[in-house]
Amino acid sequence: MKIVACYSNKGGVGKTAASVNLAYAFAETGSRVLLCDLDPQGASGFYFRVKPSQKLDNDAFFEEAKQVAKAIRGSDYDNLDILPANMTFRDFDVFLSRMKNSQSRLKKSLKAVGSDYDIIVLDCPPNISTLSENVLQAADLIVVPVIPTTLSERTFEQLLEFVEGQEATKVSKKKIAAFFSMVQRQKVLHGETMARMRDTYPKRILKAALPFSTDVERMGVNRAPVLAFASDRPSAKAYRQIFAEVQTRLRES
Amino acid sequence: MKQSQRSVLILPGMLADEDLGTTIGDLEIQVSQPDAETDFEILDNHIGSLQMSGQVLIRAGKTLTLLGGHEGLISQGAASKGNLVTGLKDGPVKDALQHVPPLRGLLGVGSGTISHRDLSMTDDENKTLVRAHLTTLNPKGGGDAVTIAALHPLRGYDEALEQLRDHLRASAETASPDAADLSPMLFPDQPRYNAKPDVAIVENATAWQSAGDVITVYLQVARENEAGIIADHDTEFLHDYRVALRKVRSVLSLFKGVYPEEQTAKFKGIASELMSPTGRLRDLDVYLLARDDYFAMLPPSLHKGLALMFEMFRKERRGAHRALAAHLRSSGYHSAITDLQAAFAGTDGPPKGPMADASVGDYARRLIWKRYRKVCRIARGITADTPDDQVHELRIGCKKLRYLMEFFAPLYPAAAVKPILKPLKRLQDNLGLFNDYSVQQAFLQRFMDGHEPLGHKQDLVLAQSIGALIAVLHERQKEERARIMASFSQFDGADIRSQFRSLFNAKEA
Repeated sequence: MKIVACYSNKGGVGKTAASVNLAYAFAETGSRVLLCDLDPQGASGFYFRVKPSQKLDNDAFFEEAKQVAKAIRGSDYDNLDILPANMTFRDFDVFLSRMKNSQSRLKKSLKAVGSDYDIIVLDCPPNISTLSENVLQAADLIVVPVIPTTLSERTFEQLLEFVEGQEATKVSKKKIAAFFSMVQRQKVLHGETMARMRDTYPKRILKAALPFSTDVERMGVNRAPVLAFASDRPSAKAYRQIFAEVQTRLRES
Repeated sequence: MKQSQRSVLILPGMLADEDLGTTIGDLEIQVSQPDAETDFEILDNHIGSLQMSGQVLIRAGKTLTLLGGHEGLISQGAASKGNLVTGLKDGPVKDALQHVPPLRGLLGVGSGTISHRDLSMTDDENKTLVRAHLTTLNPKGGGDAVTIAALHPLRGYDEALEQLRDHLRASAETASPDAADLSPMLFPDQPRYNAKPDVAIVENATAWQSAGDVITVYLQVARENEAGIIADHDTEFLHDYRVALRKVRSVLSLFKGVYPEEQTAKFKGIASELMSPTGRLRDLDVYLLARDDYFAMLPPSLHKGLALMFEMFRKERRGAHRALAAHLRSSGYHSAITDLQAAFAGTDGPPKGPMADASVGDYARRLIWKRYRKVCRIARGITADTPDDQVHELRIGCKKLRYLMEFFAPLYPAAAVKPILKPLKRLQDNLGLFNDYSVQQAFLQRFMDGHEPLGHKQDLVLAQSIGALIAVLHERQKEERARIMASFSQFDGADIRSQFRSLFNAKEA
């Protein structure tokens, strides 16, 4: 079982869209996939028309793996299940920070539930906090969408610094696989930022980049992954390329 | 994600869209248009192995689908070499059919048309909660249509699954039958074959009645194999046919005094005449089936001759089968066997002999006890130096004892007969192998002496292989011979003796 976390310490970068489409792409290849919606806004579940689960609270998540298993819902697609977000996940990070050895607990409970799955995709909330440490440690690969702007460049640096600060807990920055998201070719700034960042972090950034596209925005209307309803569009093609690179990195991890 | 544990419902009727409706409570049902109807065939072997184990095998186009067992519905490609399970391509259906006797071919039980629909159940956000694949079988002939619903639950929507299950059951014409009842429902007129039917022998019947009952039943068993032999579906039809006729013949020779002596001799003559045209084909079947064993007996350097030999057997078998099929279709055969059936099944039955009216219980005990003592007498006389003829005599004696015990088994508690049959069977296996090796040597010798010449060089290759085979068989026969005394002493233990006495010797018990 491999864990892929879609993470960004900045909001609105296309993290949920990436989680949803990557999970769908993994399932398409025949892997058994669980998409965990850890984001309190519950958007990944929404894209799959799955209603938020009601009985799951923090205690349940970490102490009763069986209860987690109960909360899992099958999506409309073969091989793809969803662990829907629960609104009490809002306090998830706080809850974790109060617990001793919290870094390893997420991994343990995921393993307990994950016996059914080949791939677990985590759609993470956008902040650096205790949950994030857990996520960083549990994940085999951390996929980070980056909008090529100066501000995003700065946040990405912070993420790498944060990860390097975690050496003791077996988090390596080799796990980071960033991709440029919502790229607008006509913007000079985007082009310059991408060139500069590729230069600075040659191994951390995937070759494929996701163009800015209304198809991605239409996911909310269609309530399905772009790969499912607009498979031939440029954004779908980009997600497939990102997926291919993610697969390669997972194999090498 | 698909759940591995699927659930399958067998629903009587076509389950038309109107019957299914469009809603279940707040949930909506969508049913796809049925695909184009195609032909299907239900497959099983002659003895109904699949049906008896609750399986239904459907061949439609290039797909084999198996219903029943833990897996629900499983499918694989229908391509196969011959009609045996071993000839199927590797796949889940083949795996699930490993219990089927390997020599029994899969045959069409009945056919009809098949169509498929997909059903899904969705909530108010148009999220699918459960799916079902509906397969409707519409049989030719007088049977009823049946719809098989394979439910594909989605994880976490157990309630919806239950709702759909209840809804489908309520939409069906009648209650869901078991998988084992599906084939009889589709094809009620299909006769069911049983190679070993129970013949009810009751204590207060006469020997004459019981003999007539056994013979009538086994003549019928023989007849139920005729069509399969003619069609050459598999080698078991002929085997069962011969076993049934042999049982008829052994009743005639073992149930002494039931019919007048002349009459018995006449019946026995007819039974032997029925048997004799089947011998050559059966011999060839046995050799061809054991082909791999023969190759394993000899080093690869001698395989060429074996290949020649088996090729000649194969050719000869074709002729032998044609001849037997023609015989079974002939009016001469037909009147011989129907006359024999009529002689036993008629209102008067055959004439009675001096023992005809003996009560079957006493009669059976006397026969078995006498036969048992004879077997022991022969066996105790056998030493390492006894001529083989005497061993053959022991084999025949054991065979007769076994037949008697099996014919009259319904008179005795199964728990009492089983422990004494077991060492008898072991002794018989031993004697049987001893005999087989001897018969095979003679057969091969005759074949070598009498075969059509293939040309000097080939004849030499063939002779070398057959010579080597005879040597191996001779060696094996000696090994079996050496085991006979030990096998008998196991059969001749004090326990077995006292059990025989208490079951079959009323006077001394």
